[in-house]
Amino acid sequence: MTTPVVGNQRTLGFSQPEPPPPLRKPRTSLKVRNALIGWTFILPNFLGFAVLTLTPVITLFYMSLTDWNIFGTADWVGLDNFARLFGDKSFHIALGNTLYYAALHIPITIIVSLALALLLNQKLRGAAFFRTVAFFPYITSIVAVAVVWNMLFSPEFGPINQFLGMFVGGDLPGWTVSKDWAMPAVIIVGTWKDMGYYMLLFLAGLQTVPTELHEAARIDGAGAWQRFWNVTLPCLRPTMFFVTVMVTIQSLKVFDLILVMTDGGPGQATLVLSQYIFQKGFEQFQFGYASAVAVVLFLICILVTVVQFLYNKRRDA
Amino acid sequence: MNRKIMSAFGVAAAASLALTGCGGESEPEAPEGPVTISLAGWDFASTPEFETLADAYEEANPDVTVELKEYPAGDDYDTALTADLSAGAAPDVFIVKNLKNYVTFTDGGTLLDISDVAAELDPETGGLEPMAVDGVTYAVPYRQDSWLLYYNKELFEKAGVDLPDGSWTWDDYAAAAEELTEGIDEKSVTGTYLHSWQSTVQGFALAQTEGAALDGGDFSFLAPYYERELALQDGGAQPSYATVTTNELTYQAQFGTQKAAMMPMGSWYIGTLVAEQESGAAETFEWGIAPIPQLDESTTGTENTPVTFGDPTTMGINAGIDESKVETAKDFLRFAAGPEGAAALAGIGITPALIDDTVADAIFSLEGVPQDELSRFSYTTHETLPENPVGQNTAAIQTILGEMHSAVMSESTPVDEAITEAEERVANEVG
Amino acid sequence: MTARTSPFRRFGRVLLYVTMIVAAAGIMLPFAWMVISSLKLNNQVFTAPVQWIPDPVQWRNYVDIWVKADMVTWVRNTLVVSVAVTFLQVLTGSFAAYGFAKMRFPGRDVLFLLYIGTIAVPWQSYMIPQFQMLSSWGLNNTLWAIMLLQAFGAFGVFLMKQYYESIPDSLSEAARIDGLSEYGIWWRIIIPLSVPALASLTIITFVQTWNDYLGPLIYLRERPLWTIQLGLQSFIGEYNAEHALIMTGSVLSVLPIALIFLLGQRYFVQGIATTGVKG
Repeated sequence: MTTPVVGNQRTLGFSQPEPPPPLRKPRTSLKVRNALIGWTFILPNFLGFAVLTLTPVITLFYMSLTDWNIFGTADWVGLDNFARLFGDKSFHIALGNTLYYAALHIPITIIVSLALALLLNQKLRGAAFFRTVAFFPYITSIVAVAVVWNMLFSPEFGPINQFLGMFVGGDLPGWTVSKDWAMPAVIIVGTWKDMGYYMLLFLAGLQTVPTELHEAARIDGAGAWQRFWNVTLPCLRPTMFFVTVMVTIQSLKVFDLILVMTDGGPGQATLVLSQYIFQKGFEQFQFGYASAVAVVLFLICILVTVVQFLYNKRRDA
Repeated sequence: MNRKIMSAFGVAAAASLALTGCGGESEPEAPEGPVTISLAGWDFASTPEFETLADAYEEANPDVTVELKEYPAGDDYDTALTADLSAGAAPDVFIVKNLKNYVTFTDGGTLLDISDVAAELDPETGGLEPMAVDGVTYAVPYRQDSWLLYYNKELFEKAGVDLPDGSWTWDDYAAAAEELTEGIDEKSVTGTYLHSWQSTVQGFALAQTEGAALDGGDFSFLAPYYERELALQDGGAQPSYATVTTNELTYQAQFGTQKAAMMPMGSWYIGTLVAEQESGAAETFEWGIAPIPQLDESTTGTENTPVTFGDPTTMGINAGIDESKVETAKDFLRFAAGPEGAAALAGIGITPALIDDTVADAIFSLEGVPQDELSRFSYTTHETLPENPVGQNTAAIQTILGEMHSAVMSESTPVDEAITEAEERVANEVG
Repeated sequence: MTARTSPFRRFGRVLLYVTMIVAAAGIMLPFAWMVISSLKLNNQVFTAPVQWIPDPVQWRNYVDIWVKADMVTWVRNTLVVSVAVTFLQVLTGSFAAYGFAKMRFPGRDVLFLLYIGTIAVPWQSYMIPQFQMLSSWGLNNTLWAIMLLQAFGAFGVFLMKQYYESIPDSLSEAARIDGLSEYGIWWRIIIPLSVPALASLTIITFVQTWNDYLGPLIYLRERPLWTIQLGLQSFIGEYNAEHALIMTGSVLSVLPIALIFLLGQRYFVQGIATTGVKG
């Protein structure tokens, strides 16, 4: 790695007053130049993104306003698909389940992965090994993950219930084959699988926390908790924003895991929106309607993201 | 390694078939000059049927080349084919694998009208007639499996239970399953095995119950079938649905390694079991096939025709096919769904839609297939009704019934409540 | 940590390690099951109750998968696609992120929300329009399609942008005054400071492409083009499945990634402080 040559920035720093940006009133030509340079950075990625992702996504939005069985022509139906959502009980169930999953999966995953990152960011013997272990669930084939967890959860033969049976009498949870316990089971596995992934992102963020700030706080007599709260967390804010948005979106979009673990069952106990989209689109060929569900899912994600975005911006300012 | 042996088994069988003179020999109005048509199939390594049909046809029509395009197996076939159809990239001839998608395919204009081909086929061809939508046929069946009862003779003897004799109703079957479980008296060996698919309960109920219809809005006909299966799993005569799904049990292992004395399963399993016994993947034991148990005595006994279910697998022509190839493609369909195709398929242990004596002879001449009378009767005689009757709403209804199946079998929801719920959902969401 | 270790502290350490080792064992259980299953006969993979010790041990699964299946081809295709996608994603993503993080121009935030917005749309809902588009260019049934699908995603841009924002502006301001262009700042200052984020983005993109199933499923029709996941799925036939071989293939497919991850450790935790620059 090359070490960047950064000259005495502390002495030079004052010539450009640090904050606040709004005070800076650059001339128009500078503004234009800045915009142009900004765009040159973005353009290579944006070209690919606009053509390969944005165009199909816009098509999807259009399709949500049509009746389309994928093969024939798409007939314009206006907002009919959205009107139909109001009366569609399965959609309501899928929406409820999705929110249920997200409501638990988001906070638990953030806490667990942050704790893991903090623990494994220390100079521990074998930290490299443990980091790899924590990352393993993310790289293990999802089919194997589903198979093993299903076996662990097996009500009759599974080790989890055998273990629980030693402490509690009476009815044990039926886990993935019980209406009430299937969702908690899926959330546990979801968290287990994702924690290494988000740990990695937090770990990257933790590297930006200046060690001298920690030292200073320690000298000031701050305890571990205070240091975490007053030093680590504020420095981690951009990463925290990123992780929160990603966990939120990924949780609301959860698909593969549910598909291989419970396939939405038993009954509709773990049916989620992404799966409902697939069901309507690829099993029943109602692509227009499936697109409308996708748009709703998108709107929920965007709503949450914008709230997080604004909140983050306000704290930045 | 299984599949190596399985295909070796197929080749040997085809060779023996050719010797007995069943090879394809047809004189259609062959188009002039060399023509190439493409055919969509899936997983060629373990599904030799497409290659067999293509080879047999090419042999009979040296001018024609049938080019195979490989798709993934299972439901992924539909996903991938759907994508190709939507982009105009699908092959000339493709398999309509799930009957429940047939109407969507025809509605979307993806299939060519082949009523003329259908008219020339033997009316006895299983599943042919319901393929006509408003008098027009868009796909013809070339293979049709039917559900049968497999049983392990040695476990029956060990338990001292009489072998099935073709007279069984479902209650007889349930009683035998309990008796077997007790008689064998071994941990993890059960009287019977029911796989987790919804068809293992609903397919029979729909086929065997008088007046039952998928789109009738009334699912009460499912109740007795579910009650019986629940009693069996609660009594330990078959692994519970919870165990089957959470431990991902495979029916091949359950029956093939003698963990279950009986098993309702499709006729495709004959070929699999023979091959697995030969390769050592399954244990060696004597087995037989019986008619699937019946709802009541009106259809039991070898003097009657037992009622079972099974969806035909059908073949259609891509509406976007090059005009110059239409005649060749139609001729290929005529061949595949006709007696020549049937003979070729039987030669590799696959049950064609058209079952005649030649087919039965071919199947039962394969090494390892049980030779008793009842097995042959079961294989050749049955009224096979579709699991997914052709209809506008079949796919949507099956989704709802599938969810009901997991709710009932996992004992999350009582049978009656689940049925009412399913009926309400069909009224609310479908149509 | 200082050197003064009281017995109490030492006990805490031991307890911590015991807990971590137990947790690690638990986390590795599914992988262990994969390994065990890969050494079994096919019909022994799924049993109730679970059989934890293979008997007999089937080492030949590890031979068969190379000899009887096209594992070599699958690995090669997967590797080609994964490397290409990772390279493009990391390069264009980290470049674009600089525009979003350090440049100010009108419409920037809206554009950025547009990027995040597409993450919020489930792929399976727009994969058909996308497939139709790529097919019309004749790219279906080519590895190019798989590369294009994932190379320009919004994820990389988002990840890098957030990371850049935690790098103090004073560094780039100073360089600007020293006469470095924006491109120079990106390459000479920001990139060297972003090693942990680049490493994370690299491994995550690589894993995602490596393990992707639905993309190859939709696009690739010919055996010579198959990826590992597609190839392994082909062991599941219509009525039968080669579970033992699937697990063998899964074990083999996980190992290279685990190895890369283990060897790349120092990049994940390379702090700004350790690069010798103080903010």
